[in-house]
Parts: sequence; structure tokens; C-alpha cells
Amino acid sequence: MSIVGRVWKFGDGVCGDDGIIQFSRINDLGSYDEPALKAMCFELVNPDFPKQVVAGDLVVAGHTFAHHSHPHVCVALKASGIAAVVVESCDSGFVRKALNIGLPVVTCPGVTGLVQPFETLEVDLEKGEVRHPASGANLPVRPFSERMLGIVAAGGLIPFLKLQYSARAT
Amino acid sequence: MGHSIAQKIIARAAGRERVGVGEYVNVSPDYTCCQEIYWPIHKRHMQQIGVSRIARPEKVVMVVDHTTTAAMGSPYHRIHRELRDFARQSGLENFFGPGTGLRHLVLTERGFARPGMLVFSDEPNIASIGALGALNVPVSWEVVATLIGDENWVAVPKSARIELKGAFPFGVLVRDLAQVINRDHGNTDRLLQTCVEYAGAISSLSLDDRQSLLACAFHAGADTSVMQVDETALDYVSQRAAGRPYFVFEADPDAQYSFRATYDLQALSPMVTVPPGMNTVVGVEELRGTRVDQATIGSCASNRLDDLRAAAAILKGRRISRHVTMYISPGSREVYAAAAREGLLEIFIDAGATVLAPGCNTCWGYLGVLNDNQVSISTHQFNFQGRNGSRSARVNLAGPYVVAASAVAGSIVDPRPLLAERAESP
Repeated sequence: MSIVGRVWKFGDGVCGDDGIIQFSRINDLGSYDEPALKAMCFELVNPDFPKQVVAGDLVVAGHTFAHHSHPHVCVALKASGIAAVVVESCDSGFVRKALNIGLPVVTCPGVTGLVQPFETLEVDLEKGEVRHPASGANLPVRPFSERMLGIVAAGGLIPFLKLQYSARAT
Repeated sequence: MGHSIAQKIIARAAGRERVGVGEYVNVSPDYTCCQEIYWPIHKRHMQQIGVSRIARPEKVVMVVDHTTTAAMGSPYHRIHRELRDFARQSGLENFFGPGTGLRHLVLTERGFARPGMLVFSDEPNIASIGALGALNVPVSWEVVATLIGDENWVAVPKSARIELKGAFPFGVLVRDLAQVINRDHGNTDRLLQTCVEYAGAISSLSLDDRQSLLACAFHAGADTSVMQVDETALDYVSQRAAGRPYFVFEADPDAQYSFRATYDLQALSPMVTVPPGMNTVVGVEELRGTRVDQATIGSCASNRLDDLRAAAAILKGRRISRHVTMYISPGSREVYAAAAREGLLEIFIDAGATVLAPGCNTCWGYLGVLNDNQVSISTHQFNFQGRNGSRSARVNLAGPYVVAASAVAGSIVDPRPLLAERAESP
């Protein structure tokens, strides 16, 4: 499973709840207002992002990316059309929350030194490789498990579980 | 190669002899723990999957803790009712309504958190249960997977080890230690994707303090956290376990740690975490004189009986400043009742503070919302802009001594002179 896209690049320490989104503008934590989340996505860090991001773009970011994230952070990225996130580092909770809505996040030390804004990057989840066509460089990342690949392929945990449960019922 | 406590707990939950760091394994948890805020999301997901049944009702611990009182215009009065109905229909015996307390405390007080237990929960701060040797795996709304299926995957985390030595000096609390650990590691990769094992002079800390320390590990980047259980912890568990089993695991002497650090408790002093990040942590004297509008005691890192005792030690016989609003949120009904029996509530009321029902309350901005440019001093867990209301408000984080002393002074102060006065004239 390979994902190719144009890169939006961010630095270190981008907070999820007050960086990628703005927690103070979330009125109801029990629902997702996708248009509002898309409109605020990265507005605090790069105001061009919500205006110019297109479906299939990738996010490359530095260390401790998306620390302090409610699930709405991942929904904002997904609603913006982001196809994958490649970071120097992040916590496991962010990886799971993103995976569960079908957004793969990979930890790839060295990626920010390799890729420039708006270059193309390729992420191979199955093989565990991030490829940078401009330089020809390949960086190893931890391959996704079969289950994680299944969740990405299904478009998220809920459609994945739906497939599993409906298969059991028949 | 030896194994960490986290590896041993995960191996047990996976029905395996051993598991390797980095391995993806399927586990059956001992409990799944969740709260009311995400209930509309869980309900929608269950409808989308086409499943309405809870797989193992006896393994579910469901707690209304974020919204102890449903405010007018909020969706929570409906959610409280729906959850109650759902719990009854699903045979969830471990449903706890508003005012019972935070999940963190409900898990320990009611004997769910026992050594060796693996808990999937919707929050990383529930790592506090590691004080009793249980392992929290935070998965946010993904708890739905084990609600309906009783199994889910984990990636076996690396373990890091933080050794404590000595004891706290006069006027220093566990929050000062936790905030220093966040300062030292929170903006680095050192504790990311790890389980932090605390070791060393743990027995010098009360069980309340141990839970507070572990509840903060997430802000230093850790996925979760755990401690070796000692006699104090095992005594507590044996009183609460009600015959349910538990499994004491120790880290092997040759267990592998991705990172090690040692903290000398004696060397610490009262600290304040300055907004909007967790990494700017300074001695309280650096902020001396910073006027505060609000002071709050509460959050899963500072809402236990020892925290209320610390606040009361300052507030007894004193009044908070006229321009300060002070809210105190006990962590559970048990803590609330104990505080009443000890006379702590009377001290708070006489001081001019408002005691709220047990719950998360002010920490996530549901109550005590801050206006533009207001400043608070708080034992909360978070201080990013907009967490407690306006983005221009500033939330300073500290232990209950500093918070209570600052409420009295009307500005941030070192609590030690007030405590010393007390010590001289009991």
C-alpha cells in the first residue's frame, strides 16, 4: 500500500488542540463539524494551509507532532484531504486516533532534513519505506501490521469492524 | 534479555509467555473504561457497525465524570439519560453516574485497578492506575472495539525508567516533581511511545501522590506509566479487590530501558508551569506578584485527599483575596466524604472557595470558564491556549500549596512562608 502526494511541511512541537485545531472553538466534543475543522486546520501555524490544501496532499512535520490532541485534530487533517502524515516523532495515541479514521501516520526520523515544502513524497506502509523521488533517498519506517493495513484499506476502524462483524453474521 | 512490567502485563493479556518490544499483539483487556463525552460518537459507531450488544458487560467501567451537572443548553442532560438507559439495557453493573468521581479514581477505589490488569481507556492520564500495578492503554474513542469485541491490538511499548531518591523537602509536593519531569522531557523524543516505569524511593510517596505523578506522564510524551507495587499498594488493593484476582509483576533485573533518569526529591522546590506549553517550568519566585483572577484545585493529577489536605493546610483560618474566584473539585465522592469528615470542606468554605461536585469540571473548561486576558493558577493538567475558555487567558499550573497560597495573596507567591507560619503557631 503506497501513498504519493505533495508535501506540506511543519516544524517541531506543533500542538494538536491549539495548533492544528483550536480547542476553544470546539463547541461539542461529541460530534465533528468537519467544515469548521477543515477551515481551522493549521490556521494558527500556516494560514495558507486551509485555503490551498488539496485532497491527497501529505503532511511532514518535526518532533512531538500533534501533542495534546483530541480526536477532532485527526478529523481536521482528514477533512482537509491529507492522505498521510510523516513525522520525526509523535505519541502512539495520535497514530491510533489517525489510523482509526483511515489516516496513516508514520514516524520517520530524518524526514524533515530530506524533504522540502511542496515536493513529492511516497509512503509505503506495507514495506515500511518513505521514498523521496527528488533525491532518490529512501528512509525506513516501521511497516504497518496486517490489521493496521486492513483498517487503512477499509477507510477507518468503523468500516473495518463493520466488514468483520457482517462477515461473522453471514 | 529481561522484560519490563509493561511487557509482562501485555503478555498475560495476550495469553502469551512473553512479548517483544515493538511487536503488534492482540490482547483481551481486563477492563474497558470510558466516559460520557464521546457517548454520541460511540452510539453512532455502533449503529454504523451494526452491533448493539456489549461483548463482556462485566468488563466495562462507564463513568459520568466530565459533566457532573448538565448545564442548561448543553447536550449532557440527554447524554446522562441515554447512558443510564444503555447501561441498564446492556447489563453494565459498573456504570457510575454523575458525582461518583473521575474514572481514574473510580478504577482504584472500586478495586478495578489491580496489579497486572490491562485496561483500555479513552484517556492517557488514566495511567494513574499504574500506581497499583495496572496498565492503562489509551485509545480514545477506539474503546468501542473492546466494548463490542473484547479484543484489540497493542504495539508493545519500549519502557523508560525514572528512579526517585530521597524525600520531598518542606513545602514541596509531587506536582513539583511531575512538572519538572515534563520540563525536562516533554519537548524531546525520550519518553515518546514508551511506558515509564517509576522506581526507587516510591515508598516515600503516598498512594495519592503516586497516582498524581503517573497521571502526568502523558505530558512528558509517554504513552503510559506504571510502578512496582509495594506493601502500601498491595494493602490498598487487598481491601478493594473483593476477591477478584491480581498478578504482581516485577521488572526483570536485566529488563531493557530505552531511557533512564534519576530525580533527587530533596533537591526540588515549588514550581510553576507557565502557559502555553508544558515545558516552561520555573521556580515560583520567578512569577512572584503575577496577579491571578482564578485559582482551581482539581484534575486527575491533583484531586485526591492529600491534595485537598495540602490546600487546606494553607487555607485554614485564612481568606482568599477578594478579586480571586476559587473552585475546588474533589476527585470522587469518597474523597469528598473524607474531606467532609476531616473538616476540610469547612475550611474551604470559610476561606471563600467554592467546592464543586466530584468531577473533571474546570480542567477541561466546562466550568469556571476564563474570560479574555484572565489569569489562573491551577492544579489542572493542561495549559494550552483556549483550554479553559478564551485563547488570551493564561493558565499557570502548580501544586495545591502554590495554588492555595496564591489565592490568598491574590497573586502568585511561594507557599512556604505561609506554611512556616502555620508550623510555628499550630
